[in-house]
Amino acid sequence: MYALIDANCFYCSVERSFNPALEGKPVIVLSNRDGCVVARSNEAKDLGINMGQPFFQLAELRKQHDIAVFSSNYALYGDTSARLMSLLTHFAEDVEVYSIDEAFLLVEGFECLYPSYQDLGEIIRAKIDQWLRIPVSIGFGPTKTLAKIANRLAKKTPEHNGVCVLDTPEKIDESLKNFPVNEIWGVGRQSARKLECFDIKTADQLRKVPIDWIRQMMTVNGVRLVYELQGHPCKLLEVGQKPKKSFCTEPGFHRVTTDLAMIEDALTAHLSRVCEKLRRQNSLAGCLTVYLKTNRYRKTATGLPDKQHNPSRTIVLPHPTNNVLDMIHYAVGALNEIYAPDYHYQKVGIMLTDLVSADYRETNLFTAGLDEKRLKLSNAVDKLNQRFGSNKLRLASQQHNPEWPMQFQYLSKRCTTRWSEILEAK
Amino acid sequence: MIDSLDPIPAENIFRLDPKRRQAIPYFSAQVQAGFPSPADNIIETSLNLQDLCVAHPDCTYFVKATGESMLGDYIFPGSILVVDSAIPIEMGNVVVCWLNGDCCVKRFLRVGKMIILEPSNENYSPIYVHKDRDTFRVLGVVTYVVSKPPRYVRPD
Repeated sequence: MYALIDANCFYCSVERSFNPALEGKPVIVLSNRDGCVVARSNEAKDLGINMGQPFFQLAELRKQHDIAVFSSNYALYGDTSARLMSLLTHFAEDVEVYSIDEAFLLVEGFECLYPSYQDLGEIIRAKIDQWLRIPVSIGFGPTKTLAKIANRLAKKTPEHNGVCVLDTPEKIDESLKNFPVNEIWGVGRQSARKLECFDIKTADQLRKVPIDWIRQMMTVNGVRLVYELQGHPCKLLEVGQKPKKSFCTEPGFHRVTTDLAMIEDALTAHLSRVCEKLRRQNSLAGCLTVYLKTNRYRKTATGLPDKQHNPSRTIVLPHPTNNVLDMIHYAVGALNEIYAPDYHYQKVGIMLTDLVSADYRETNLFTAGLDEKRLKLSNAVDKLNQRFGSNKLRLASQQHNPEWPMQFQYLSKRCTTRWSEILEAK
Repeated sequence: MIDSLDPIPAENIFRLDPKRRQAIPYFSAQVQAGFPSPADNIIETSLNLQDLCVAHPDCTYFVKATGESMLGDYIFPGSILVVDSAIPIEMGNVVVCWLNGDCCVKRFLRVGKMIILEPSNENYSPIYVHKDRDTFRVLGVVTYVVSKPPRYVRPD
């Protein structure tokens, strides 16, 4: 039996968990640079606020209603998520962290400890509420796909009270009958449209299609899906993180810019950050891509669409590396090559690909391999930054213009990760 | 499902996390033919304040006290409170809670159905919590108080 545990409106719930006065009020959380809405409490959904809606469109609504607005407080959400995932290991041995607020549990072998799965679900809900003050929904099913469906039902149907168990064939039949095919985990928009053409609209219909036919329609993934719906597990728990195959970062500027010096500054900062991530994963990157983006929606003073320029340049490094000093030269060179004056750039991005393990070494006539001294240096820099705060030690070309970093106007306190911002009690 | 007369409460089931384990030095001196250091037998790991104060790291929050209402419990303005949300609240515990949105630290008392938040400084009066009128939520129980010693002022 698998369980999927999912926090309800996670970002909003975390904000509430340190500020219960927000209970019952509409709460929204904004994306980087406070651009658009990335999380909404149920009350905010009821006001008609959409996911991804640009924040400036809400000015009128904010005058009418008392809406609590927050910038994304990733330090707080990340820490709470880590606590949640760690606490879930109290209930089952194997926990797959599926996203920041979702985890699959393999709950077999604990039957003697809990009278029923319903009971286990209720205990988990009550305990997470006590420990973290966060509401969660829990779905149980014989496969991951069915657990996901159960979770969806637990969230959508208030009578379930946050726990839905699909453990008998009757219950599974009952719930799949009305479950729309496009809401099944792993069915994308395209597959859903294809299935619709053949009049397959519910999970129950999909479960009964011939295997050969679905293989033709949706390849082996479709076959797995159908088996999962029939109750045969095909997707197993993935405990332990898979290493990433590429790293990419492209936070935008606060305001569009034409200034090369500022773009270079931002590029250096992004590069140091992805290199740090690379080192944390114990990888080297062999290939580096720099790209620039202008704002698609921007209008000039005359109301005409602004001219666009979205160039990119990829460079194969002489030897895979994870050191900023080795890469910066190439990154800045690439930037200078693609930069054209007179365009209003919104973001500069960097992508590292061709990742290999950190002990990879190769020497040939033209490359001397990695500079081991520099590797040690960057490890020392990481350690210092971990201890004294990120970006305390940085390249001199970074942040001489402090205008570009991310703007957070509505940031709540990072009360679990900073001593200076912890809760205060009278 | 097998019925069990005595189910183990969920919060008492733990997974061992090897990352949190600390290495304990075993022998600090190499054994040679001579006389070994007699201290080797009693070498222990060094002490860590976290181990003393934080029983449940995932359920522990640090909160700064600001008022003087709890002076009787050695909680001074600026004291750091170690707050554990995993401990069941018992009568008389010092708790950190939110009453109508305000975060406060008080002694938790239950009289009948009523909750009383009692300060330990006689200049402050107790607060009565009405279930239907007030919103009340507990963060957790204060398990330790970390304070600097008071500054010495010489009496005249």
